[in-house]
Amino acid sequence: MQSTIVLPNLAPNEFLGIFVVATLVLVFGVGYAGLVTLAKMGYVKRAWQYVAYLFWLLQVYVLYDLSLRIHSSVFTQKILIVAMIAYLFAPHLYFYLVDQSAKRYESALENRKEES
Amino acid sequence: MLTNKHLKYESQKIGMNYFRVAIVLFGAQLLFGLVCAIQYLWPGFLFETLDFNIARILHINALVVWMLFAMLGSVYYLLPDEAGRDVVGAGLGKLGFWVLTAAVTVVVLVYLFIQIGPGKESTIWFINEGREYIEAPRWADIGIVAIVLIFYYNVFFTYIKGRQTGILTVLVADLLALAGLYLAGVFFTDNISMDQFWWWWVIHLWVEATWEVFVGALAAYGLIKILGAKREIVEMWLWIEVLLLFGSGILGLGHHYFWIGTPEYWWEIGALFSSLEPVPLVAMFVHVLYDWGKEQGHKEAVEGEGAHAVSNSPAMAWIALNAFGNFLGAGIWGFFHTLPQVNIYTHGTQFTAAHGHLAFFGAYATILIAMMYLGVQGAYGIKKMTMTFKSKMAIGLITFGVIGMTVALTIAGYEQVLVERAELGAGWDAYFIAQNLTWMKQAMGWRLVMGVITFIGFVYLLWDLVTIGEVEEAKEANELQSAVA
Amino acid sequence: MSNKSASVWTSIRFWRRSAAWVTATAVVLLMWLTFDTVKQISMGSDEDLKKGIRKRIPAPTVINYHIDYKFSKKRGHEVPVIGQKEPFFGKEWSPKEAAALLHKGKLTFQAKACIDCHTALGNGAYYAPDLTKAWLDPKWNNGTMTAMIGKKTKEEAMAEFLMHPDKYPTHGRMMPNLHITKDEAIALVAFLKHMSSIDTNGFPRNFSINAKRLKGGTNAH
Repeated sequence: MQSTIVLPNLAPNEFLGIFVVATLVLVFGVGYAGLVTLAKMGYVKRAWQYVAYLFWLLQVYVLYDLSLRIHSSVFTQKILIVAMIAYLFAPHLYFYLVDQSAKRYESALENRKEES
Repeated sequence: MLTNKHLKYESQKIGMNYFRVAIVLFGAQLLFGLVCAIQYLWPGFLFETLDFNIARILHINALVVWMLFAMLGSVYYLLPDEAGRDVVGAGLGKLGFWVLTAAVTVVVLVYLFIQIGPGKESTIWFINEGREYIEAPRWADIGIVAIVLIFYYNVFFTYIKGRQTGILTVLVADLLALAGLYLAGVFFTDNISMDQFWWWWVIHLWVEATWEVFVGALAAYGLIKILGAKREIVEMWLWIEVLLLFGSGILGLGHHYFWIGTPEYWWEIGALFSSLEPVPLVAMFVHVLYDWGKEQGHKEAVEGEGAHAVSNSPAMAWIALNAFGNFLGAGIWGFFHTLPQVNIYTHGTQFTAAHGHLAFFGAYATILIAMMYLGVQGAYGIKKMTMTFKSKMAIGLITFGVIGMTVALTIAGYEQVLVERAELGAGWDAYFIAQNLTWMKQAMGWRLVMGVITFIGFVYLLWDLVTIGEVEEAKEANELQSAVA
Repeated sequence: MSNKSASVWTSIRFWRRSAAWVTATAVVLLMWLTFDTVKQISMGSDEDLKKGIRKRIPAPTVINYHIDYKFSKKRGHEVPVIGQKEPFFGKEWSPKEAAALLHKGKLTFQAKACIDCHTALGNGAYYAPDLTKAWLDPKWNNGTMTAMIGKKTKEEAMAEFLMHPDKYPTHGRMMPNLHITKDEAIALVAFLKHMSSIDTNGFPRNFSINAKRLKGGTNAH
C-alpha cells in the first residue's frame, strides 16, 4: 500500500497556529451541537439556532484552514468537507431521536413512573 | 464511607470495600506524582533512594489499580440494583477482594523496597516487568487473571439468573473484552516493535474503547439512579454510544502505530478513526446535559419552582464534570496532536503527559468518584444527598489543580516540540537544551504547585467521603422530626 | 409500549444490533490489519541481512553492521541504512550469540525499568532522552563521550557509562547507578544498536539537523 500522506517539515512558527486551529475545530463543533440542542429544548431563544449555524460555518472554515496548515493533500481536504456536511445534520438527527424516543417511551408526563 | 449499615445486598458491601481501597490508592497515586514533579525541579530529591522511574511506576500503577478497584466496586455496587438479586457467589467475591488487596500490597512493597532486579527472567516474574502501566510482575498478572475470572463468574451468573437489563448486557460484554485484552500484555519478546504493538492492544483498547464503554454504562446507571431518567431512553442512547465508541475507538488504535516500526498505512487509518473519536464524546456530553435539563424541567412542572430532580448532588456534579472532562481531555487534548503530520513532532513529549493527565481525570476519575458518592448514599440510606462545603472544595480544588497541571504541561510540551523537535531535531543534546530553558522550568514549577492544589483537593474529598454520610443522615432525620412536629 | 407505527430509529433492538455489527466489523478489520502488520514487524533473518533484503525489524546480527540514518527522497524522511560490516565489541557475533545478546539486552531493559524515565520508539516517560536512535546520537559519535569516559570505541564507552552513570554526569538531572553488570551493559548496547536499525517511518524527525550542528552525526560527513 503506497502512502498518500506526505509529512512535510513544519517550521517552528507553524505550530502555534496548528494547535490553536485544531482546538477551535472542536470548540466550534461542540458549540454548534450544544446551541442547537439548547435552542430546540427551549432554554434559549429560537434565534440562537442561527448563531449555531454560524458556529458550523466557522468550524468548516477552521477545519479547512487546519488542512492547509498541515499541508494535507487535496483528496484529504475533500473528505473533510464531506465530513463537515455530514456533521451539519448530526444534531438534527440527534434531536429527532430524542424527540421520537421521548414520544415512544414516555407518552405522557403524568404517566411517568418515579423510579427511586 | 465507613459503614454498610443500610446496604441490603452482600454485593454492595463488597463494592464498598473496593471503593475504600480505591480511594487510598488514589491518594498514593497523587503522592508519588508529587515526588516525580519535585524531581523534575530538584533532580537530587531522593536520588538513588526512590528514583524517578520507581516513583513513576508507583504513580501510574496506583492510577491503573485504583481505577480497576473502583470499577470492580462500581459493578458489585450496581449489580443487585440492575439484576434485581444479590450476587451469586458473595463468599467467593469477598475472598477475591482480600486476595487482590493482599497481592497489590505485596507488589507495591516490592516496587518500593526491591525496585529493580538483574537482567534475568526471574526479575520479570517476581519484581517488575518494566513495561509502562503494566509493570506488575508475571506472578501478579496470573493472580489478577484468576481474580478477574472470579469476578466475571459472579457478574455473568448474576446476570443470567437475574434481570437482564441493557446496562448489564453492555457491561457483561464489555468486561469480557476488557479482561481478555489484558492477556495481550502477558508475554515477553526480544522484538521491541512487536512488544509495543501488543502492549497498545492492552493500553489503547482499554482506555479508548472498553473503559469508555464502561463509563457510558456507569453514566447510564447514574442518570437513572440520580435523576430518575427513563430507562428505555437511557439504554437506547447507551447502545448508540457503544456503536460510536467502538466504531471509532477500535481502529483508532492506529494512531499509536505511526512510529514504532509498523507500516505506513496506519497513518491514514489512525488519522481517520482518531479524528472520529471526539464524536461520541460530544454525543455523551450533550446527552448528559440534556437529560439533566429535561428531568429538572419535569420536576419543576410537577412540583413547582425550586424542586430538585437530583437525588445526589455531589454524584451528579461529578458526572456532569465527567461529560466536560471527557470532551476536553480526551477530545480536544487528544485531537490536537493525533494527526501524523503533527504527531511526528509531539510524540513522546510533555504533550502526551498533558493529554494523559486531563483525559484520565476527566474521563475516568470523575465518574468513579461519582460512584463512590452513590455508594455512600446507599450505605447511609440517604434519600436526597446534597453537597457539603467539603464536597464543593474537593470538586473545585481537584478540577482546578488538574486543569492547571494540564495547562502547565501543555506549555512545557509546546516548548519541547519547538526547541527539541522542530528546531534542533531530537537527540540527547537537543533534549537537554529544551529541558533547561526557562519556559520548561517555570512550567514544571507551576505543575508542582497545581499538583499540590490537587492533593489538597483530594484531602477534602477523602474527608468528605468519610463524613458526608453522617452529616446528611442527621440532616434528614432533623427534617423529618420538624415535619412531624 | 407495543406501538407498531414507532420509527425504527427509536428501536432499542435496532441500535443494539447496529452496535454489534459496527463493533464486529471494526474487530474483523483490526484482525486483518494485525495479521499483515505482525508479518511485517517480525524480525528478519541473518540471510536477509547478507543478501541486503531490507526488513522493518532486522535480525539481531544487525549489530555486526554499520548503521546510519539518512534522508530518503522516495519516502520523504530519514530511514535507517545498513552499511558495511564493522566489529561490535571487537568481534563478529554469530546469529546464535547475537540472538542471545539481544534477549539479555531486552530483559535488562525491562528489569531496570528504563522506560519509566526514557522513551523507546517514543513511548515511555519524558524524564530522560529518547533512546530510539541513541546508538546514532552525535554525542557518542563526535568523540565527546568517548573522550570523557576514556574508551576507544563507542560501544565500550556506552557500556562503561551504563555501568557507572554517576561517574560521568552531563547534567544536573543524571542517571542513577542501576547496578548494571558488564554483561548486562554489553547486552543493553546491543539492544540499543538493534533498535536504531528499526524502520520507524522517520521518527525521530530531523535527527540530522542535530548531527550536523554537533558535527558528529553518522550522516553529517
